[in-house]
Amino acid sequence: MKRTVYAADKVGFHILHTLFQTSMKYDRIHRFDEYFVTSLIVDGGACAGVVAMNLRGGTMVAIQGKATILATGGCGRVYEFTTNGFIKTGDGMALAYRAGVPLKDMEMVQFHPTCLPGTGILITEAARGEGGYLVNKDGERYMQRYLPSKMELGPRDILSRAMIQEMKAGRAFEGPYGLYMGLDLRHLGAKKINERIPMVRELVEKYMGLDPIHELIPVRPGQHYIMGGVSTNGKGETTLPGLYAVGETACVSINGANRLGSNSLSECLVFGAACGLAAAGFAKKKASYPRGAAAREALKKEEARVFDGVLGRERAKETVAGLRVEMQQLMERDVGIFREESALADACGMLGKMRDRFAAVGLADKDRVFNTELTAVLELDFMLDVALAIAHSARNRRESRGAHSRTDFPQRDDANYLKHTLAFRTDGPPRIDYVPVTVTKWQPVERKY
Amino acid sequence: MAASDVVFRVKRYRPESGGRPTFQEYTIPYRSDMVVLDGLNYIKDHIDPTLTFRWSCRMGICGSCGADVNGQPRLTCGTYVRDVHKGAVTVEPLSNFPILKDLVVDFDDFLRKLASVTPYIVRKDWGDLTKEYVQYPEDVEAYRQQSLCINCMLCYAACPVFGSSPEFVGPAASALALRYNRDTRDEGADARLARLNTRTGVWECTFVGECSVVCPKDVDPAAAIQTLKFLATMRHMRRLLMPGSSSR
Amino acid sequence: MPMTSREYAWKRRPGWWLRNRRYLMFQLREAGGVICALYGLVLLNMLVQLRAGESAYTAFLDLLRTPPVLYLNVVLFALVVWHALTWFMLIGKAQPIQFTRQPLPWKVVFGINVLLWLGVSGAVVYLIFGGI
Ligand SMILES: Cc1cc2nc3c(=O)[nH]c(=O)nc-3n(C[C@H](O)[C@H](O)[C@H](O)COP(=O)(O)OP(=O)(O)OC[C@H]3O[C@@H](n4cnc5c(N)ncnc54)[C@H](O)[C@@H]3O)c2cc1C
Ligand code: SF4
Ligand code: FES
Repeated sequence: MKRTVYAADKVGFHILHTLFQTSMKYDRIHRFDEYFVTSLIVDGGACAGVVAMNLRGGTMVAIQGKATILATGGCGRVYEFTTNGFIKTGDGMALAYRAGVPLKDMEMVQFHPTCLPGTGILITEAARGEGGYLVNKDGERYMQRYLPSKMELGPRDILSRAMIQEMKAGRAFEGPYGLYMGLDLRHLGAKKINERIPMVRELVEKYMGLDPIHELIPVRPGQHYIMGGVSTNGKGETTLPGLYAVGETACVSINGANRLGSNSLSECLVFGAACGLAAAGFAKKKASYPRGAAAREALKKEEARVFDGVLGRERAKETVAGLRVEMQQLMERDVGIFREESALADACGMLGKMRDRFAAVGLADKDRVFNTELTAVLELDFMLDVALAIAHSARNRRESRGAHSRTDFPQRDDANYLKHTLAFRTDGPPRIDYVPVTVTKWQPVERKY
Repeated sequence: MAASDVVFRVKRYRPESGGRPTFQEYTIPYRSDMVVLDGLNYIKDHIDPTLTFRWSCRMGICGSCGADVNGQPRLTCGTYVRDVHKGAVTVEPLSNFPILKDLVVDFDDFLRKLASVTPYIVRKDWGDLTKEYVQYPEDVEAYRQQSLCINCMLCYAACPVFGSSPEFVGPAASALALRYNRDTRDEGADARLARLNTRTGVWECTFVGECSVVCPKDVDPAAAIQTLKFLATMRHMRRLLMPGSSSR
Repeated sequence: MPMTSREYAWKRRPGWWLRNRRYLMFQLREAGGVICALYGLVLLNMLVQLRAGESAYTAFLDLLRTPPVLYLNVVLFALVVWHALTWFMLIGKAQPIQFTRQPLPWKVVFGINVLLWLGVSGAVVYLIFGGI
């Protein structure tokens, strides 16, 4: 049976545009284009809307609502090398986290094995699904050493780890952007490549200047997706009444510790509908509209924090680009594909220091209109919170499971860790707690191939 | 300037300082595999954090990074410096749009145009929504090309007709109308053709053809507009010959 | 959304059509359209002169034979040819002609049109001069 429906290799693209265009059918959907949410309004223990910066107007506004849904996507930019776009900075996770909602299973970060070096542009699974080989610099299909039963069709985490091991063993190619492996499609022939995976060829030609019909595609693993996120139930409800989360920013836990390809978009569709219905039902039932006073207060606070505080800081030694790269490289090195205690402890400490150093990041652009330096600073602020949650969650899980691979604890440990991590924000390092996993039909068993 | 440097001439406009747009020059290290967006990001991260431009995906799919590069509308993430580099790389905001700040232009008018062509499936009766509307590969093939538009607006920046009559519905919105008119599930073709048969519709087009030249996704909006002219004429004739007939 | 009044309104540059070769070719094609109309006026004027009597008509023909007018005619003729050719190039793109799954390539449509055009022109020349 086919596990998924698809629109060639552009599923997400078509879902996005169809949704966007169809939204134009409804006059009562009011889109706030290019408004950047900076915080949630919390009043009387419930979410009462958001405070956002209108980038074009250069003003801060409070947008009130009985129900608020976060759908802000993942946080790939916490890592240096990622397939994600520039805006994937975990904003929604940090927004909820700061409002007291826990982040669940943040240590579960997926790395995709086939990304173009330099840019991190993703080469889809389909390239291997159609029969592509992964080879090392000796031309050997090295997966036979790691997963002979599945070879290139193994899961993302195992393939990514195998790549790192090959690199460590000195069997990788070396290029201007470091070590890489080869993805070989040449034996598939022009016809199959053009018919089945046209986007792969287009991307490799355009962004790598190579033709996969005749040449090896250089690839290396990169951050791709986060299974963790804002802790929600199947209706998208969080622990804060009136606040919902859905999509990659949420963690409904359908992806466990290791998402399967194409399940993210299916999740967006299924739980998007469920969450929308739940939020609408909640808003309908709720009698009173949020208090204006709370919104005004939240707005004033944000104006002071962002415009007077952050925007007022003079540019000095600490820059947003500098600190961002430091954080990204740290995450890549110490909280990446392989993890172990001393590196994680180091990362937790360093991230805590970066949190403090962030206060010294100054800005050169003092304008309020479309200040992308300011949004970059606010995004870095969000990312530091998210990175801390990831590092601490990873450090506390002393076992290996799914995408979380600890060299010092290589075995899965169901006795102690068959449970979800919850990270709560505190003024210091995050507080880590656990809740049991609800096991329904399928008993967890060891992964064997 | 070292041999391994390249000069970026970027048009700047600061709304809060007023005045007219001016050019600013930046000298940055050159790499043979750098795209124009890499250059802009280098400037933003290392030289001048006030430089403002939109981007996100850096892989030609989000459509946000368009700019006039050496006078031609392009996706900055998909344009290699080595291909356009003639002494200097000139980067300006997309032509034909009001400038908000530096390379950031206002796209509200474009979104209104998209909305004006009823860009969704119209049906009198949706029937049983738990059932699928089956389409065969040929059915999808009929509108696939027009459905690949990423809303980058390069085609509008390239269109001199839009430049002189901003009311013109324009290339991408027309292609989108054709995308839905060709969808076997849709019943809204008549209303879309009626909209495109107005003073601001497809007849404004004088077939310069530049929109299809600059389109990074091979949507061929110019051809879409000509097809729509034909369909609009047929509709008009049909209504003359058979008044009261409204067809899909 | 409220528009900020601080937006900088875009103005089309007077020399926009010199920005690239394709714009220039387009402007020439459009200019060629005007020239076609001018030719029409010349022919109309010829009829007017013909009605005005033989001397007026020969004077007009003599005027057409003077070198400046001849040179002008060469330039105008070139533009008219350009106008025709560019439209032939566009026909296949504007309304793709489809017999099989793939529409005819525009170059084929262009070729057919040019051949038809030469054929008709040849026929006209033959009718008027009885051979070249
Ligand atoms: C290259 C690539 C290929 C992929 N391929 C597949 C695939 O084939 N199949 C699959 O199932 N999954 C795939 N995925 C994963 C999947 O695309 C994502 O998980 C999914 O798109 C997430 O959708 P979302 O709606 O949750 O968030 P997004 O699509 O990321 O949308 C988030 C939105 O929130 C906005 N936002 C963020 N912060 C703020 C803020 N502070 N204020 C206001 N707005 C904000 C952003 O601008 C954005 O519009 C892929 C991912 C990548 C990167
Ligand atoms: S038609 Fe092409 S150029 Fe125009 S907006 Fe769409 S993708 Fe961009
Ligand atoms: S950055 Fe997305 S299209 Fe260029």
